[in-house]
Amino acid sequence: MFQFDITRLIIALGLCLLFYIFYLLIKQWSLNKVYKASNRFIRNDTNENVIIYFSTPDCVVCKTAQRPALDRLKNLLKNNLAVVEINAYENPKLTSQWGILSVPSTVVLDKRGEPKTINYGIASFQKLLSQIEKFEEM
Amino acid sequence: MTEELKQFDHGPITANQGTIIVLLCLSFILNTPWLVSIVAFMMVLGTIVGKPGFGFLYTSLLRPLNIIREDIYPDNPEPHRFAQGFGSIVASASAITIWLGAAGLGWTLTWVVIVLAAANLFLGFCAGCAVYYWLNKLKVPGFNKSAPKGKIPGLSLKGK
Repeated sequence: MFQFDITRLIIALGLCLLFYIFYLLIKQWSLNKVYKASNRFIRNDTNENVIIYFSTPDCVVCKTAQRPALDRLKNLLKNNLAVVEINAYENPKLTSQWGILSVPSTVVLDKRGEPKTINYGIASFQKLLSQIEKFEEM
Repeated sequence: MTEELKQFDHGPITANQGTIIVLLCLSFILNTPWLVSIVAFMMVLGTIVGKPGFGFLYTSLLRPLNIIREDIYPDNPEPHRFAQGFGSIVASASAITIWLGAAGLGWTLTWVVIVLAAANLFLGFCAGCAVYYWLNKLKVPGFNKSAPKGKIPGLSLKGK
């Protein structure tokens, strides 16, 4: 019924590893685009963590899901977080330079203005909070 | 062409993709074509009834055990159903070719299903949904839902 074959296991693990490397490369590529466009740091005089939020006026999920999550996070972190909303239609150059493929997208910066994470698609309250907490601990 | 999005739980879809990946990987490692056939059968069944084939694992096991949480956000369910149908065809072709003796081709198709499911689960890119939205753009009858504004067709509305 079963024919365990070590070669097959190695092939499967190799393919999974390749996929994981591909996943990491995509994540790093998107962050590198932001680094390149912003000279690694984005001016941040506020001493707050910043979330740059790309949206468009006709994006339904931005209004129904992403904005409420950001409002909830802002209410929790208060003076420790600034949210900057960017209309992707009005800022096509910036959107393209930063490799923003779709809205909503959120770029999380630390207090020094260094981009730490990019989220394509809806980033939940919990996800954004854990991303901020992660680099706050560092 | 409508653009109304429906709020629904994506947990069963996540459970379905995870189960497909695990079972197909196991079937390859243990060289068990019958397991590929079972996965293909469940995907076909799911497509017919309009639910994720292994979605029952979510309601009966994975959600109660908190392994996969509720994941409700607005989206179009139709492209996901189409994607499962698309996957079920590839999985069925994979099972049939293995049974017919073309093991190399059959297992390659199995890995195509694994990679597509993994791309959806880990990268948030649903290839079947992208095909659905492109067919909608081409105004093919039956593909009535268009990609939500501002989204790349197939890219998940939920960030990964």
